[in-house]
Amino acid sequence: MGGPTGDQMIRVDMTNQTAELVAFPEEWRLFGGRALSAKILTAECDPTCDALGPDNVLVMAPGVVSGTAAPTSGRISIGGKSPLTGGIKEANTGGQPGQHLMKLGIRAVIVKGKPADPEARYALNVNADGVEVVAADAHKMKRNYALCMDLHGEYPKTTSFITCGPAGEMGLTGASVATTDQDNRYPARHAARGGLGAVMGSKGLKFVAVDPGRSGVRRPEDRAKFGELCKTYTKEYQEGPQMFQFGTSSVVPMANMLNTLVYKNRVEGQSPDVESLDGARIVESFETRGGEMHNCMTGCIVKCSNVVHDAQGEYKTSALEFETLTLLGSNCAVKSWEDVADMDRLCDELGLDTIETGGAIAILMDAGGMEWGDADGMRALLNEIDQGTDRGKAIGNGAVATGKFTGHHRVPHSLGQTIPAWDPRPLKATGVTYCTSPMGADHTAGLVVNPGLTQDQYVWESQKSQIVNAVCDSSGFCQFLQPSLDDIRNFYGALYGEEITREQIHDQGWGCLEEEWAFNRAAGLTVEDGYVSDALQKDPIAGQVFDVPMDIINQMFTKMPPQEDLFSAKASG
Amino acid sequence: MPVIQIPPPYRGPTQGMTEVDVEGATLRECLEAVEKQYPGFGPLVIDPAGNVRKFATWFRNGDKLMGDVLATPLDPNDSIEIISSVAGG
Repeated sequence: MGGPTGDQMIRVDMTNQTAELVAFPEEWRLFGGRALSAKILTAECDPTCDALGPDNVLVMAPGVVSGTAAPTSGRISIGGKSPLTGGIKEANTGGQPGQHLMKLGIRAVIVKGKPADPEARYALNVNADGVEVVAADAHKMKRNYALCMDLHGEYPKTTSFITCGPAGEMGLTGASVATTDQDNRYPARHAARGGLGAVMGSKGLKFVAVDPGRSGVRRPEDRAKFGELCKTYTKEYQEGPQMFQFGTSSVVPMANMLNTLVYKNRVEGQSPDVESLDGARIVESFETRGGEMHNCMTGCIVKCSNVVHDAQGEYKTSALEFETLTLLGSNCAVKSWEDVADMDRLCDELGLDTIETGGAIAILMDAGGMEWGDADGMRALLNEIDQGTDRGKAIGNGAVATGKFTGHHRVPHSLGQTIPAWDPRPLKATGVTYCTSPMGADHTAGLVVNPGLTQDQYVWESQKSQIVNAVCDSSGFCQFLQPSLDDIRNFYGALYGEEITREQIHDQGWGCLEEEWAFNRAAGLTVEDGYVSDALQKDPIAGQVFDVPMDIINQMFTKMPPQEDLFSAKASG
Repeated sequence: MPVIQIPPPYRGPTQGMTEVDVEGATLRECLEAVEKQYPGFGPLVIDPAGNVRKFATWFRNGDKLMGDVLATPLDPNDSIEIISSVAGG
């Protein structure tokens, strides 16, 4: 066994504002990202704790191959007990901090405790000289872009940031954790789902600054094999269809045809505004306004991130994704991608999940609290969130909170988390994922876009996708690179100079799910709690409701014998 | 007969069928034949103006098709693969 040695973790005590570097357990070398977060939370976090109290544990963990020369491999997982679902949560994002932490040999940041003074703000500085917690009161309640503009003047240019916006500081359960993107420019990448920004905010941690200085890439044990894998994988990807070359927003018309471009709080599956929400319009705008497709992290070959400019040619936001165009667009009957771009920027500024926020606003509209498609009203509403109005706080706390605030009956969710664009009624195997994933309704946990499946196929297709995505989100590879389990185990093998078998990689994915399910059971959540809400069981779209019976759902919790396609199936989220 | 491989997102109309053998001298004729057998499939891949939809990439025997895709002549042993983007965060 060889490969990178001397790895460390950072333990941060926010009660006493101290940080120390400790050795990373050798036996965890093949665990990163989501799987590592699950291991740490299982060992160190009481599942019954108050998610916004001192006993919750916030984990920041890059993937196993992050910081190496492997393509598109710098993803980072943010983990903790979710204040939204009440269960374990992992939210995965791109940007630079994952690469930078791993170049410094840091496999995880583990944050515990809470300052006695809830008004105090702190930062964690990480660089080649060590780690320290410093005061950051001057940055209290700054929006993410203003914060990063200021930080760029305070830190070396090589520094990337993990930040908490005002929504997180306010403890709003739709809050995200932001990371800065390539060139350490903007806080445009978000570990968005599950309200982990509120966990970061509850600990008084405003930002983490990671400066790798002149640290180089991580050296694999079998450099020749690892290099060959990088070369071959990159060549095959670049010669393939490159499905994300125009970004996830190009999925809009396809989703519309599949009845999953949800409209007006999901009462319909198709939007009459599909043409003006199509990501193709964004790509067309590059010619007259500037903007481009770019990579959110160094070493990315997918380049799915669109940089969106306004009519004056100035940067507005990045990336404007399919999920955002659906939840803040069609689901609120907003007609134009340009309006959605404004709202995407506002959510990034505040540090809010665009899916949860869009789901919440649609409920407000459905309840009669705002006109459908009122983009000006939506902008004003988002701008009142960090002013602390009751309505703003309800929206910032997500769909279920907004349902309670308005008294409205139609609240699509699972485990208290609103449903992503991909709808479980036409896509029932994806619905099985929403009902059974430890993450609640999260398409990145196991997306299955196949409306032709029969009921006896739902569970295997969902289980396969959940295992592949759990391993992918532990590896550091981006789901949009679409690596298979065979791809990932081959990279692991070359990195550490040992053979990783199919059985091992299957066990890792399944083991991650089992640890997460165990955490949720200990937190008091039942299988029934995870079933999608009434709105999806009673209101049809395209003639379909979600009606997969519990005896089918329960089959998910038995590990199925692996079929050959498990190892060639591609990550998809 | 040429075979049209049906990708997962399009398997609603084909009721789960993963591939369909059809008669036809060109890709257009073959797709029209699939539509006759499985109504609803055609509009998923061909737009109202009669062109292939933009968000799919087409391959014949592994080679990417360019230009006027629907006019592509097909031999009886040809296999057509359709790749479409189906994910997105």
